[in-house]
Amino acid sequence: MTLEWVHPGLLLIFGAWALPILKGRLRWYVLLLLPAVALIACFRMTPGIYGQVHFLGQDLVFGRVDQLSLVFSYVFSIMTLLGIIYALHVKQVAQHVTALTYAGGALGVTFAGDLLSLLLFWELMAISSVLFLWLRRKPNAVTAGFRYLLIHLLGGLLLLAGIVIQWSQTGLIIFEDMEVFSWSPAWILILLAFLINAAVPPLGAWLPDAYPEATVTGAVFMTAFTTKSSVYALIRGFAGTELLVWLGAIMAIYGVVYAVLENDARRLLAYHIISQVGYMVCGVGIGTSLALNGATAHAFAHILYKALLFMGAGAVLEMTHLRKLSDMGGLYRTMPITLGLYMVGAFAISAVPFFSGFVSKSMVVAAAGEAHLVWIFLMLTLASAGTFLHTGLKLPYYMFFGKDSGLRAEEPPRNMLVAMGLAALACVLIGVFPRLLYQHLPHSVYYVPYTLQHITSTLAMLGFTALGFFLLLKYLDPEPKISLDMDWFYRRGAEGAMKVIQGPLERLESRYVAESYECLIRSPMLGVAKLLRNFDTRVVDSTVLGLARLTQIFSQALKITASGNAQHYGLIMAVAVLALCALLVIRSS
Amino acid sequence: MTDYPILTVTTFLPFLGALVILFFGHERHTRWIALCTTLLTLAVSTPLYWSFEKSSSELQFIEMAEWIPNWNVSYGMGVDGISLPFIFLATVLSILCVGGSWTAVQTRTKEFYAVLLVAETAMVGLFAATNLFLFYIFWELMIVPLFLLIGVWGGPGRVYAAVKFLIFTLAGSVLMLVGMIALYHNCGTLDFKALTSFQLQPSFQVWLFVAFLAAFAVKVPMFPVHTWLPDAHTEAPTAGSVILAGILLKMGAYGFLRISLPILPEAVQIFLTPMLFISAVAIVYGAYVTLVQTDVKRLIAFSSISHMGFVTLGIFTLNQNGVEGAILQMINHGILSAGFFLCIGMIYERTHSREIKDYGGIGKVAPIYSSLLAFFCLAATGFPGLNAFVGEFLIISSAFQARVWLGVMAIWGVVLGTAYLVWLFYRMVMGKTNSGLESLQLELGIREVATLTPLVLLALCLGLYPELVLSYLRAPVAQLLAGGVTP
Repeated sequence: MTLEWVHPGLLLIFGAWALPILKGRLRWYVLLLLPAVALIACFRMTPGIYGQVHFLGQDLVFGRVDQLSLVFSYVFSIMTLLGIIYALHVKQVAQHVTALTYAGGALGVTFAGDLLSLLLFWELMAISSVLFLWLRRKPNAVTAGFRYLLIHLLGGLLLLAGIVIQWSQTGLIIFEDMEVFSWSPAWILILLAFLINAAVPPLGAWLPDAYPEATVTGAVFMTAFTTKSSVYALIRGFAGTELLVWLGAIMAIYGVVYAVLENDARRLLAYHIISQVGYMVCGVGIGTSLALNGATAHAFAHILYKALLFMGAGAVLEMTHLRKLSDMGGLYRTMPITLGLYMVGAFAISAVPFFSGFVSKSMVVAAAGEAHLVWIFLMLTLASAGTFLHTGLKLPYYMFFGKDSGLRAEEPPRNMLVAMGLAALACVLIGVFPRLLYQHLPHSVYYVPYTLQHITSTLAMLGFTALGFFLLLKYLDPEPKISLDMDWFYRRGAEGAMKVIQGPLERLESRYVAESYECLIRSPMLGVAKLLRNFDTRVVDSTVLGLARLTQIFSQALKITASGNAQHYGLIMAVAVLALCALLVIRSS
Repeated sequence: MTDYPILTVTTFLPFLGALVILFFGHERHTRWIALCTTLLTLAVSTPLYWSFEKSSSELQFIEMAEWIPNWNVSYGMGVDGISLPFIFLATVLSILCVGGSWTAVQTRTKEFYAVLLVAETAMVGLFAATNLFLFYIFWELMIVPLFLLIGVWGGPGRVYAAVKFLIFTLAGSVLMLVGMIALYHNCGTLDFKALTSFQLQPSFQVWLFVAFLAAFAVKVPMFPVHTWLPDAHTEAPTAGSVILAGILLKMGAYGFLRISLPILPEAVQIFLTPMLFISAVAIVYGAYVTLVQTDVKRLIAFSSISHMGFVTLGIFTLNQNGVEGAILQMINHGILSAGFFLCIGMIYERTHSREIKDYGGIGKVAPIYSSLLAFFCLAATGFPGLNAFVGEFLIISSAFQARVWLGVMAIWGVVLGTAYLVWLFYRMVMGKTNSGLESLQLELGIREVATLTPLVLLALCLGLYPELVLSYLRAPVAQLLAGGVTP
């Protein structure tokens, strides 16, 4: 490895080892210093190939630096610093080590120029992030972590299988555009591995299962890295794969629909990650330079605003220890700063003009329009309205306004507010000065977000959504109360609609998609395992024992003839001689 | 090169130590004598590694002496790149066996350490032997100490397990003896190198292959003659399990490399597909059966069947990467299974239970122990950057080249392997701490950490820099594959 290039990921991963040794203030400084240095290292980097290592007859490239990996490394390292600031008050040092290792893994994925080093960091991310669940030490979190780990290790193995096939068939493990290998087994396996990490349904059930169970600060990291590093990998390897267009659009809608059902604040936000990643996956599928720029820009913006939203929801969780929306309400009185910062994130995710989502999400939607994908365009726009409805209106309404729950929680610790403030600042800066982001995108940008038509149509859509929200407020109540009134007819209609969603749809999710581990992986696996164990004990083992038993019986039978008593032998001999004589007599006569 | 007969000294130094313990040792000092002997053995063997000429596929450090001139049998010792890593593994694991038995063995300590040292002699001698006669002697010598270790110092079902082990291995080696006599009658020599130059009749080769297969398959163990292994591993004391999993299983695969492949190439050709098939079956079958074990030791024992399936799979792909991967996998499995059995032995000393359900939540009471266990689990699942990854990667990629379905089954074996290891870790370490466990001092002491550390370091080094072993293998494996066998 050359000295002029420092791998920021390895810096974080190995630097994290120093933390448990250090105490007090010194640990704080190192904790802040590591991501800061990584950030500087990323921004000082120039395109090129660094860190080549010879391994198993292949050249591993740990540092492929180009425009695409640079922009992802910027946002990953910014996010690491923000996340660490947010988590500064956490005493459990293992969480910090986990965070840095995990972030280092994401940076490693970003700079990996070959599939083997990609796999290394990919697995490292899976192993480290599960600790965020296990460190919470709650029974639910532990079991969710186990499911999370299994699905991610399975993903890692699919990736491994793909790499092995690719290597044995082509002798190449370079990680580049895979289009020439389309629909080969290796291509399919690698794509599947990426789709699992990108939480594409039905492979994405792990995300809403795991994220709400993570520690408050851990969830912030998790929202940023796993799905987005996967988006990076998709852009790198699978740009222009048509399948992804549809998968992405379905994801965008899927996440929004399931968010309707959610009462758990962080789980609602988790479903919205799926929805937002859907835009990116869709952009990757469209594959034009505008779409790829859009996917990249949206990933960049999304990491910051989603982290901000999770920070806000986490702050409430930290201060109230409540996670159900129906238990909260009225928090605006005592947590105004948290509310304000959260709303910045909410506006950003809803693509309100002058917030970051507006300049990034619209690129993908515009690319869909430009490619004449009418249905996709409509689906993405619809999902957009749904996003505003839930994260921009429903969640803050029930959390901070709504009926007063009597909670008087204080503002969170100052470091949390600082981190949220910085994230909010970034959301606004990108929204107001889109060039800041656009100049780093992999392709040159000719897209202008601020046109009169774009602003007015967005505002109109948001306005109508808001109007609808306040008109239909009663039916969105996370804990519906029945008050017989003249609106009985409306309510029945709304109830019917809700029944469809809560009935079959919810059943689909909770019984099949979320339980897909149970049905598809765990029970068949254990079933076969038990069958084979019985075979092993009943057939394989008893064949051997049976042979032994037979030998025993045979020897027992022989034992009769070998009594060791001379009289017996004499008798037998006499009988035999007599028999022989008798035989001779009969023969001769 | 060195001035003293290095291989003979390395082989018989432990034997000398055993004699010292038996005749002069005091009960109180035996473990110190054993530790010193094993350390000294490693020390005297070190010149082997740095003055070895890696680019040559020839035997090195050769020692020859007349032995039984009438039968044209000589005492021949020598190593090549294939046997050298095994000698290293055997000498290192012997030290750790002494470390792992330090407090665990309380009865008949004199005899225990003497038997352990005799086992080391047999292990090293087997890998250093250059003719079949000597090979056979060490092969049979190995059975005695293992039988005693299981039968005398084992768990509750030790007698059953020991007898089962004895019957299986003896049945196998009787056939090997027949094969050896047949070879001698035909060729008039038993020297490995001389034997490779004979062009034996294919039909004769087939019979010989079957005879040797009986011995090797039992040792590996291959499906379906694996059934002695779970009992033996489970009932053996920690040191016995380590030697069984670490070295004894490798003897069978080493036999394939030393005898079947170079001397019986045409028979190998004929048996290729069946061998590949039962290897793949062993991988998947072993992994499935592992998944539902409730006894920790039994679980690791069954996982050995699956992992050794990878080894035979790699060998019979008959391809440079596959064979190199198989040998590397043997070394890796030796390191990791030793780690597992030592870990389990250490906690068994405190809880006296091997049932997984009696554990749970030990992460809270024994963080160091849990991290070490996590490390071994992670390494054994084939985490990139740790040792098992490289071997499995090489084997699976050459399996895909040989037959696609083999690769698929191998991958499935890795998936299942991940599942049972993660599940094991989850059930033992995570969750609520079992009420009985908190009062026991579960955390490891310095001696125990020191026993496990070398294995952790080896796993890391081999994962990051597999050339450490692969560089020794390149020339001899190429030579082996050039000698007639083709995939």
